[in-house]
Amino acid sequence: MSAKRHTRLLLTAAILLGAIYLFPLYWMYATALKSGSEIFAYPPTFIPRGLDFGIFAEVWATRDMGRFLWNSLVIATGSMALVALLGTGCAYVLARYRNVWIDITLFLVLMLQVLPASLMITPIFVGFSALGLLDFPRFAVMLAFTAKAMPFFVILVRATFMSIPAELEEAALVDGNSRIGAFALIALPLARNGILVSAILIFMQAFGEFVYSKSMIQDVTLQPASVGLNGFMGPNTVEWNKIMAYATIYVTPILAAFVLLQQRIVSGLTSGALK
Amino acid sequence: MTNQPQIELLSVNKHYGGFHALKDINVTIPKGSFVALVGPSGCGKSTLLRSLAGLESISGGEIRITGKAVNDTPPRHRDVAMVFQSYALYPHMSVRDNMSYSMRLRKAPRAEIDAAVADVAAILGLGDYLDRKPNALSGGQRQRVAMGRAIIRNPKVFLFDEPLSNLDAALRVHMRKEIRALHDRIGATSVYVTHDQIEAMTMADHVVVLKSGVVEQQGAPLSLYDTPATKFVAGFIGSPAMNFVGGIVADTGRAVTLDLPGAPSLPLARTMEPRRKVDVGLRPEHLSIETGDAPGIETTATSVESTGSVTYLYCGGSPEIVVVLSERERISQGEPVRLTIAPDKIHLFDPETGAALR
Repeated sequence: MSAKRHTRLLLTAAILLGAIYLFPLYWMYATALKSGSEIFAYPPTFIPRGLDFGIFAEVWATRDMGRFLWNSLVIATGSMALVALLGTGCAYVLARYRNVWIDITLFLVLMLQVLPASLMITPIFVGFSALGLLDFPRFAVMLAFTAKAMPFFVILVRATFMSIPAELEEAALVDGNSRIGAFALIALPLARNGILVSAILIFMQAFGEFVYSKSMIQDVTLQPASVGLNGFMGPNTVEWNKIMAYATIYVTPILAAFVLLQQRIVSGLTSGALK
Repeated sequence: MTNQPQIELLSVNKHYGGFHALKDINVTIPKGSFVALVGPSGCGKSTLLRSLAGLESISGGEIRITGKAVNDTPPRHRDVAMVFQSYALYPHMSVRDNMSYSMRLRKAPRAEIDAAVADVAAILGLGDYLDRKPNALSGGQRQRVAMGRAIIRNPKVFLFDEPLSNLDAALRVHMRKEIRALHDRIGATSVYVTHDQIEAMTMADHVVVLKSGVVEQQGAPLSLYDTPATKFVAGFIGSPAMNFVGGIVADTGRAVTLDLPGAPSLPLARTMEPRRKVDVGLRPEHLSIETGDAPGIETTATSVESTGSVTYLYCGGSPEIVVVLSERERISQGEPVRLTIAPDKIHLFDPETGAALR
């Protein structure tokens, strides 16, 4: 009996914390649908009164959101492809070989994960500027973000590779594979889920990337939606409903994708932990 | 079976950093023979097998397969097939694809692959399972698929790395016979690693006993049992294990006095150096109970286990002496017994080096 009450108590606490955590998200949706005067009403209304869905089309058109989202998509896709391409091989090597150099590399990879983007942007900016990379600002952002996201990807995918018994590749070697053949035909297909899930997470991160884009992309036609949203918010902004509508359009597709893929993402991330 | 050696290991050495895993291994394996590498865990038997497969590189010496040095040959060019302890079946492929993987890699024609798969499946009784994935098979079936993947290659050499250790006891005995029958039918050379001396004794033509990276002794199974070269081999081969008792050769050199209560004396079949300290080895199945008045080891039965076919008798305290009796003896716990052994069945070992004294 007391165990059951205990469970119920914990469940209530979890739901409460979840609600607090998710409240800003709700507030975004709610505010987007409120009228100008309702936003500033006191006490605030928790459920918007007059629902005005026309605001989304209006914001989409006036803020040129199609272009911003396209840029976000380009940067996210490019970053994801770069990370997956370079990171998979790296993760494989870190998973399969064991020596002092591997340990040092692993330590460095973990350390990179600690450095915040806002700290790194100045040296990266100076370096990229010297190399002339800032003439291709979206590519520059992809590169910088790839470096930032790589450790996260490598650590996740390394765990996936470690869960694949090395004997499978040895069997393939004896069966007639070369070392690279065993990697491509045995290890890679078996790690597919882990790689896919990690890549999706990288894509989602890159889609919301702000610091590098804001600093490196001057040309407004090349800026992603995150920078576009930032430009929407002036010092005297009162159009909160429009800003929130913009945010809604920006966030909802990622959110929907996450909810749909949620089960696969969780199982993909934990599969390394199981046998 | 010709006398041409299929595999030659010439002073093979292997170092892992500071650890000397294989020390001067010299083994010659004739074509078509079944060789067992046996020893306790960590003795280097798996390392030796993996070196043969090319999965480990050796630090010194030479490995030859049909006369050709293969030290620097990658596994795929050695023409060996290996069955792993964990089977190492490719989980993302069906049984058919698992077995035909090597053929598909060398781009064999479709018809040839289908024929080979059908052949091997018939030999192993896997015909109904070809389209299943490995995780939908039982342990025994997976074992067969692993065998099939090796057989289909038709290689010069089969390597087995403890292939039966994940099976239950009954299946293990069955597969033991089946693997040996397959070997006899196919006629390729087989090298079989196991920690189970019964498997080694029952399956192999030639047994190599390894301990800490050194070949302790090699030879025909029964010669290892009858004339073990060292105390280690004597204790390792045979089940239950040989009893060892400290002792000293009598003044006459024709008997040995044991370090047991009452200092019993056993006659020897040969003359030894008088007053030499020795370790005396007595196989449980060679000891018997003396009912007459001949001298023997006076002790008491501390525990009696009867399986129906044989009776295990545990006698004395330190060291305990195990006796296996095939007759049904009516002996109860705590009863005094006198044990005797035929003089030519007594093994003597040097207490320092462990070498057999003959």
